[in-house]
Amino acid sequence: MNRKRALIADTFCLTKRRRCAADSVTGDSQADGAADIRSSLKYLVTLFSRKLFNDSLPPVVLKHQLYSLHNDKTAVDKQVNELRENGELLMFQLGFDSEAFALVFAEDYRAKVLQGEAGRGTLGTVEKFLAKLIPSCSDLSFNKEKMLKEFLFTDSEITQLVKSGVLTVRDAGSWWLSIPNSGKFIKYFIKGRKAVLGMVKKSKYGEILKTELEGRRTTSQVKFQMKYHIHDIIGAELVECIQTTSGTLLRHVDGNVN
Amino acid sequence: MLSFLYARQSGLDDPVRLRRAESTRRVLSLKLNHNRDVDRIHGNGINTLDIEVIDGRYMLSGGSDGVIVIYDLENNSKKPQYTCKAICTVGRSSRHVHKFSVETVQWYPHDTGMFVSSSFDKTMKVWDTETLKPAEEFQFDGNVYCHHMSPVARRHSLVAALLCSVLAVGTKDPKVQLCDLKSGSRIHILQGHRGEILSVRWSPRYDHILATASTDSRVRIWDVRRASGSLFTLDQHNGDKSKVSSEAVNTAHNGRVNGLCFTADGLHLLSTGTDDRMRLWNSGTGENTLVNYGKVVNESRKGLKFTVSRGCSPEFVFVPCGSSVAVYGLHSGELITMLRGHYNNVDCCEFHPDYQELYSGGKDCNILAWVPVLRQPGIEDDETNSKRGGTQAAINPAFEDAWSSDED
Repeated sequence: MNRKRALIADTFCLTKRRRCAADSVTGDSQADGAADIRSSLKYLVTLFSRKLFNDSLPPVVLKHQLYSLHNDKTAVDKQVNELRENGELLMFQLGFDSEAFALVFAEDYRAKVLQGEAGRGTLGTVEKFLAKLIPSCSDLSFNKEKMLKEFLFTDSEITQLVKSGVLTVRDAGSWWLSIPNSGKFIKYFIKGRKAVLGMVKKSKYGEILKTELEGRRTTSQVKFQMKYHIHDIIGAELVECIQTTSGTLLRHVDGNVN
Repeated sequence: MLSFLYARQSGLDDPVRLRRAESTRRVLSLKLNHNRDVDRIHGNGINTLDIEVIDGRYMLSGGSDGVIVIYDLENNSKKPQYTCKAICTVGRSSRHVHKFSVETVQWYPHDTGMFVSSSFDKTMKVWDTETLKPAEEFQFDGNVYCHHMSPVARRHSLVAALLCSVLAVGTKDPKVQLCDLKSGSRIHILQGHRGEILSVRWSPRYDHILATASTDSRVRIWDVRRASGSLFTLDQHNGDKSKVSSEAVNTAHNGRVNGLCFTADGLHLLSTGTDDRMRLWNSGTGENTLVNYGKVVNESRKGLKFTVSRGCSPEFVFVPCGSSVAVYGLHSGELITMLRGHYNNVDCCEFHPDYQELYSGGKDCNILAWVPVLRQPGIEDDETNSKRGGTQAAINPAFEDAWSSDED
């Protein structure tokens, strides 16, 4: 790597060096120092398109989208876990990638689920489940003994929960926690991610400036906002992020070439 | 730097602090140096490198052609331009050379009179450095992917060799074979893994603790004094069984685990896997410290040999990633820099703790030396010296002025 300024350890650096000019040019704000995850989550929530699902889904953010906003991945993980311990945030295993986790604010989740259940017979069971889940539990999946002994649900109640979409089958006798009506979300998300990656790949030299990609017209495959997908592909390291004098450059990462 | 020296001199600071700060600064300025070169002997890729612990002077390398070479790393010529010469080789013409690729070589930890090499020809040979003949040869049934001798052992001299078995032959399980160098026999077998074992390491802190990594996604820690199975298996979710699908419970990685490295104090263990992740574990409790290094590209089908720096203040991990070497901060998880220079995949790297240099070898048959570059010598001074015919005194640029001329 051609570095005009040498790497320097913290002990020798009494004044912070100024960051690369590119960031101030594009106006991106990188929170350094103590990162506030909650405000980043709120920002990502605004990028989520509610109308697409007729307001039946709570706003879903993926955990690796936070990595594109903050530098220190370990600190991000730690703060997300703190929020989950406090009961403000719920994490879900989406199923298409073992490393992709979805984050939803607990109040949003509760509101949407109850809204979806209004008028159905399963409402009572779902309320009981949410009351048990939200304050204290931070598991992603539940198995049979837990449901029967700790939460005191009967088999028929478990079936009702699966029917309502709050639980999804994981294997015999255990279930994932899930978001009702999230199938459509996952389908659009995967298609949109593939389309955006295709756009980066097809560009000349396989690379494109981030600002230019944000300005491109989206195809019908891409249902979410472009920025939502861009945070996703940067955070999941599906593209390489390079700082240049004209801004951030996204380069397509081929699996074999490095 | 001057403030550190003054603080040490006046007793404000521990002497260790200056050493650590300077080591860290040197590691951060690692670069390819055109003055330092390593002889190119291997005709095929280089699989393994080892620098001896006593002097840090001799380096062993083992290649895919079965050849083993010993290099002298010390610069005794008075010039800065230096090629590390190969002192002796066990080449293809030697009667005792390995028939297939040499996977691991290691110096005997207490002196350079002996080294051990293991290879895909199912043998592990203990060589006498003086005569370059094997003093001992251990025959196995399966390919030996890796072996390791404990660097701190005084009470025993066991070499742990790993076998993968070809599962089509009989019902043999993949096992770790412990061989005793003093008696030349096999002591016992550690069983428990269900897939080929790609890497093994003794702990540098205790001479009875051993860690093994295998293709069944598990890393096991063993105490060789016990008769029962492994002490514990490393679990990436720290026992939180709810996070994964039920097949992946209790695994260290979501793919094959192909590299292991203890930190210098033995308190932490690093493992890399083909799920493109690297994890840092507390070696005493087996807990995942959840340091997130991001995507560490790893496509190696065999073991990957990576290394950790020693003596620096934030320690660094050097991992071969494709055709470059990635440098990560050990506890912070951030990517410091990528060292690019190889033409093909890098397979192994080794850190020289005394000079803070990194040697890396790969499929392009080159061993590259990454040397700390701190201060560039002034080009002006060299030119004026040669013009005056080699005068030793060079004018300090601080005392030069813009109006007087040199001819007066």
